[in-house]
Amino acid sequence: MAGMEATVRAGWVVPLLLITAVAKAQQPVSIAIERRLAERLRVQVGDTLSIGVDAGATDHKAIVSAIYEPAPDPAAITKREYFLRLHLPDLAALLGSPDRVERFGVALKPGVSPAAAAERLNQIAFGFRASPSHDIATESSQTFRVVSRFHQAIAVISVVASGIFLLCMMLLKVEERRRDAAVMRFTGISRRTIFAALLLEAVLVSALGSVFGVALALGASLVTNLYYQRFFDTSLVFSVVTPSIVRFSVLLSLGLGLAAGAIAALRLVRTNPLILWGRG
Amino acid sequence: MSGERGQTARIGDRALSSAFGPLTAYRLPLTAVRNLLRHRIRTALAIAGITVSTAMLLDMVLLAGGIERSFGRLLLGRGFQIRISPKGTLPFDTDATIPDATRVRRIVAADTAVVAVGPLLGTSLYLRMGDSLVTLFGYGVDPTAQANYQLESGQDLAPGDSSGVLLSRPVAERLGASAGDTVTLVSRLDPEAAVAGVERRLTVRGIVHWLYDYKGQPSVGALLPVMQDLARLRAADRVSALIVKVRRDKDADATAARLRTALPMLEVNSVAALVSRFRERLVYFRQLSYILGSISLIITVLLVSVLMTITVNERLGEIATLRAIGISRRSIVRDVMAEGTILTLVGGVLGVLLGAATARYLDRILTSFPGLPAAISFFVPESQSLALAGAVLLATGILAGIYPALVAARAAIAETLRAEAT
Amino acid sequence: MRELLTAHGLTKDYPMNGETVHALRGVSLAIGAGEYVAIVGPSGCGKSTLLQLLGGIDTPSSGRVELDEIRLETLADRELTRLRLTRLGFVFQRFHLLPVLTAQENIELPMAEAGVRRAERRQRSMELLSYVGLADRAAHRATQLSGGEMQRVAIARALANRPAVILADEPTGELDVHTGQSILELFRRLVKDGTTLVVVTHDERLAAEAGRVIHMLDGQIQTLNAER
Repeated sequence: MAGMEATVRAGWVVPLLLITAVAKAQQPVSIAIERRLAERLRVQVGDTLSIGVDAGATDHKAIVSAIYEPAPDPAAITKREYFLRLHLPDLAALLGSPDRVERFGVALKPGVSPAAAAERLNQIAFGFRASPSHDIATESSQTFRVVSRFHQAIAVISVVASGIFLLCMMLLKVEERRRDAAVMRFTGISRRTIFAALLLEAVLVSALGSVFGVALALGASLVTNLYYQRFFDTSLVFSVVTPSIVRFSVLLSLGLGLAAGAIAALRLVRTNPLILWGRG
Repeated sequence: MSGERGQTARIGDRALSSAFGPLTAYRLPLTAVRNLLRHRIRTALAIAGITVSTAMLLDMVLLAGGIERSFGRLLLGRGFQIRISPKGTLPFDTDATIPDATRVRRIVAADTAVVAVGPLLGTSLYLRMGDSLVTLFGYGVDPTAQANYQLESGQDLAPGDSSGVLLSRPVAERLGASAGDTVTLVSRLDPEAAVAGVERRLTVRGIVHWLYDYKGQPSVGALLPVMQDLARLRAADRVSALIVKVRRDKDADATAARLRTALPMLEVNSVAALVSRFRERLVYFRQLSYILGSISLIITVLLVSVLMTITVNERLGEIATLRAIGISRRSIVRDVMAEGTILTLVGGVLGVLLGAATARYLDRILTSFPGLPAAISFFVPESQSLALAGAVLLATGILAGIYPALVAARAAIAETLRAEAT
Repeated sequence: MRELLTAHGLTKDYPMNGETVHALRGVSLAIGAGEYVAIVGPSGCGKSTLLQLLGGIDTPSSGRVELDEIRLETLADRELTRLRLTRLGFVFQRFHLLPVLTAQENIELPMAEAGVRRAERRQRSMELLSYVGLADRAAHRATQLSGGEMQRVAIARALANRPAVILADEPTGELDVHTGQSILELFRRLVKDGTTLVVVTHDERLAAEAGRVIHMLDGQIQTLNAER
């Protein structure tokens, strides 16, 4: 097989048991490679690869013993890196750092508090630090929280813009009916009836708009996921339209449409019909 | 109309008349402005809508390519146009290192276009502070060829100064240290024996600003051999990256290509290529900016065209009369389009102000990405893009009024007058 | 008397609710320079339609209109518009002033369109306002004027570019008796000053002042009263 340069990471999690690493540099090591890498190199299980830490020094033989699909990791998709897995002792030997790891994963007995355990470990720690997995997860999801806050900010701006647009459209729509309203007043229809009629129109328009808007959002969400899943070759879901989002959006648009329609209708029914007709 | 409003209208009109008087079609902006003021609330709402859309458009224009521009400026800030890193990686992207750094440096320096080559090593280490250890990031540098820091106070490292260290301001403040103080750097901690494998006492020469640090990052810098010792990489002569300065900027790509041929086992990128690779990683922001920018333009078009359509429909009788008394179609179209243009202009100007404020707010959010250099910004203005966006917005507003204007101008006069009479 | 405005065999049909309305059924007439002609008849007889055809606002289904021997149907829209601007003046029943402009600006409007310089049109508009007795209302917006005042401004606007003919469609239709009288007096002055005037009206006083009255019924001219 052609030589392959790979940037390897010693991220293999081991239980808290001692493992003796046997240096077998000349014996082919067993590796598992991720599906995308296998597709790119066109390798299958059983094929032999040459791997190394430095480009130009890929003199270690490795046999592909498995091809795996990594769990979708949002942090990794933009970097377009490839991963493979080795047994810890093989990797340590490859790196020339036997008996060195980056981290341990510790499983606690039932009922033991992770925070308390971490604190006890840190009291005797030298050269390492223990943290509850929850804290690590919080820390490492910082990136996505930033993106989330950014999306929320954009959403707020979009909602404001949409609200103004809705108000403007409702106002124009109602004002377009000014002569109709004048004629109704001339013929004795009460202000309340006219107000109710205009408000009903506003509600109907808002409701229809909401339905179309939700349908459009669902379509856009589908297209977004299809596009980015293909683009990044991942099964990650990028856009989700949840019931709470739908509820919020519909309530907001109905509320704004109703408010705008009510304000415009109120202005209209309070205006002298002669002025509405254009004679006042 | 009340006397007061009439008075105000007259004063305003005088100002408008004197401002727009000299125009050939004197009444053009005057009539358009007055027609817009006829319905203050709807005009205000339309302007508000265009303002927010413009702000969004501006922000998206700033965002599209903003971080790349910022990143490019950072990379070129000290004039080093090429970066060399381990194969398949970008500088400091991973823990991988380049072996045989001295030989590589010699090969690079031999190129006639190259004027300077600087090695760079990054490593994690600790600083003794009483009984505790403070985690730091260490830079191994060559002070005669570096693009990583700017001196804030004290002195730079001298070539050969193997007992000197530079501190970042966060470290200096935490330690209460300044030039002349001594610090102890340790690495290769043995958890079992509770000792450090390597320890060095160094004298603080100066406080520096590390250009690629994130906000508050605790960093120190020493000569490359010192840091290699601390990282136990000296024997292997390893560095994290090399920075290369060429004589002329325009030679950067060609030089990078030559070095790529000479060093096939390393990653050689000009700054332009680095920015391009960086762009791939942030493609989402670019795409988002295009989509939201387009939506902003669509909203502007819809607002202006719907407003003008309804306004024109309300004034069909007036327009038919104007046509009847001899006002040309062109004048009618111009009048209607002037209203749309004024709306877009006013909303556009206000939108720029709002957009500048929201860009600052959004930038504050995005620049809180963990690990992002503090010098990076996502919303970076570029005059060409801004001018183009402004032109597109204005053209959009103008064109949005075309259809209703043409409909108004082409309406049959007699038919319209008949309809108005009923 | 020189024939200024002539109509030959005019017909006008237009669709309405799926049927064809024959608004005019072969109307011919000639109006001389300086004449005051009134066109009267019941509602729907086609008199407003006739006026619109004479003014080039509408196109006949058949027949032709000539103004100073210029055949209107041969003109392109731009030329026809120019003709209306410079050779004809219109006065409408509902005034149709631009509400956002002042009285003076409404009068200046057609002059600006015709390319008259600012100083000149300012002067002329004030002259016209004085002529119609509204010099003190020059700076008032149209919406601040009474019905009679608006109609007088509309008449002044119609006179702005010194037209050959003034065409007025029910100029007192929206006015009370007293206000209508002021319009009548204005028309008397116009006629006395040699303005050619064609007025469609229900107002007997206006008709009585005319040198010639054309009676219409059912899209046709019934009688043409001789000149008084």
